Amino acid sequence: MSDKPFFVGYLPVPGPLRIFLLSVCVVLIGGLAAAGYIMGVTQDDPGPGAFRFDYGRQTVTGVVEMTPYPVIHVTKGNDRIKPGDSFMMTAGGKSGVDSRAMPLNGQLAEVSGIILERGDLYMMQLRGGRNGLKAAEGDAPEIVAEPQGRWQLTGEICDGKCLAGAMRPGRGLAHKACANLCLLGDVPPIFVSSQPVLGEEFLLVTGPDGTRLPRAAYDYVAQFITAEGEITRRGDLLVWEIDTDTIKVTP
Amino acid sequence: MSVKYTPVQWNRNKWIYDGVMLAGVAAFLWIFLYITPEVLSYEPAINPQIHNARAFGACAFVMLTIILCIGPAARLNRRFLPLLYNRRHFGVMTTFVAITHAGYILNWYFAFSSSNKYVGLLYANSSFGQIAGFPFELFGIFALICLLVLATTSHDFWLKFLTPPVWKRLHYLIYAAYFSVAAHISLGILQDQQNHVFTAMFLVGAAAVIVLHLAAWWSERGDAAARDGAWIKVARPEAFREGFAKITRLPNGDRVAVYLMEGQLSAISNACAHQNGPLGEGRVIDCLVTCPWHGFQYDVRSGRSPAPFTEMVPTYRLRLEDGVVEVHPDANPPGTYVDPLPLPEATPLPQGEPA
Repeated sequence: MSDKPFFVGYLPVPGPLRIFLLSVCVVLIGGLAAAGYIMGVTQDDPGPGAFRFDYGRQTVTGVVEMTPYPVIHVTKGNDRIKPGDSFMMTAGGKSGVDSRAMPLNGQLAEVSGIILERGDLYMMQLRGGRNGLKAAEGDAPEIVAEPQGRWQLTGEICDGKCLAGAMRPGRGLAHKACANLCLLGDVPPIFVSSQPVLGEEFLLVTGPDGTRLPRAAYDYVAQFITAEGEITRRGDLLVWEIDTDTIKVTP
Repeated sequence: MSVKYTPVQWNRNKWIYDGVMLAGVAAFLWIFLYITPEVLSYEPAINPQIHNARAFGACAFVMLTIILCIGPAARLNRRFLPLLYNRRHFGVMTTFVAITHAGYILNWYFAFSSSNKYVGLLYANSSFGQIAGFPFELFGIFALICLLVLATTSHDFWLKFLTPPVWKRLHYLIYAAYFSVAAHISLGILQDQQNHVFTAMFLVGAAAVIVLHLAAWWSERGDAAARDGAWIKVARPEAFREGFAKITRLPNGDRVAVYLMEGQLSAISNACAHQNGPLGEGRVIDCLVTCPWHGFQYDVRSGRSPAPFTEMVPTYRLRLEDGVVEVHPDANPPGTYVDPLPLPEATPLPQGEPA
């Protein structure tokens, strides 16, 4: 019960109420603008990973190895990729290149595609079909696996492609479903260690005895975890065979 | 109030309302989408698709927060009532912004896979047994479904078809949507934040909604009469003012608006037949009780809208007992005429005494 101005939608706004409503309009529009600015400028840096289209298409030759995820150990490089380098391979989108790489396991092959790079981690997104991966002439040198012992590591399981720069940001819990989709599509998984391991921050992570990453590990993707497993050096790439029974979420 | 359905019964105030809200939303989105990437200067930048998804998602949350603050703010201070007037349009805008957010997410995170993106959305993350890593997308899907239901049924056609009580209960889904959005944000983007400014803004927004609702509830808590079926005290006659009402809560939770018009008292339901707006917070204009929300009008003696309109609200019986106006808690059928209760002549004060 009051004599204050009474607003009826289909009638002109009472005079004394106009100033108040005008103030509310200014506050509303200004507040929304300010909220947009503050929320926008406080987003975190997604990190250095990116597609390196500026490098152009890269073509090298090397030995294909199924770890079980497809890796190539370079024997004949170019200006950017040197012999002795090892890197993972993937196809366009959320797909791996397993079906193309398996017939060439242990053989010499020529690969061609675009590099994704994040610090020491790099991966090649191959061109489609035989343009991206085809057998090469010559004898393939034997790739010797060098066991490095059992290690307990702390860090995060990610899909290698998004982490390497296909998505920015490409890690974290908000990205978990996307990472799972990539892993289900055979994109190689990567473990991002909180401490350098044998000089490396990124390790290819697999299941025990050369199996694929077990489904049990998918629940822990994008979480900060501690787990144990055997590390093997293959070329200049570290492969960690995670023991899923030892996985613990780290607070 | 209307005798026929038209898509929107536009008037000048609605145009202004929608214009202001659109300007606010446009300002938010334009600054987030086009200004902040320049300010951030990350090299390489956040993916445009992710940046856009965040912009629309954050905007939808802020819009929902504003929507839920308008109601209690108007109950605490009636000067905010005009913000309630066209809130449905703001709600529909929110739904479109939320759909855009969902579109960016679906066509980025769940695209490029051999799986159908809608199927991928549902099965990619099945970690239901844990809090960290829980598929928070499900909360977003639920909130979006709620918003779609609310936007679809926001038109007066649905109000009439479903009846106001059912429509009103259905539209309480906005609270389910908000809680779901809060869970979506808490288990999603907040888990990855290094910069906690957004977290702070999220908490401030959610706290504003909770505090305003508690404050409105506290200010309106009434001492409902304990006796069921008995006459309920309203107020002494001198407490009434011409053209205004006093609101009384009945034991069953309903509220009655007792109006003084032309020296006589009449009681009608406090809930407007349109959207359950608080009729007792309105006033008499042109001999008709006028709802403060959308201006629906009723004859206070019969609870009927003037012809050709057909809306009706229940009426109540009044009596004067021991110098106190009382209302009977049993409602008459909507539109039932009740003779108004004349107020006794005020006893003139003796000369020289203070009024």
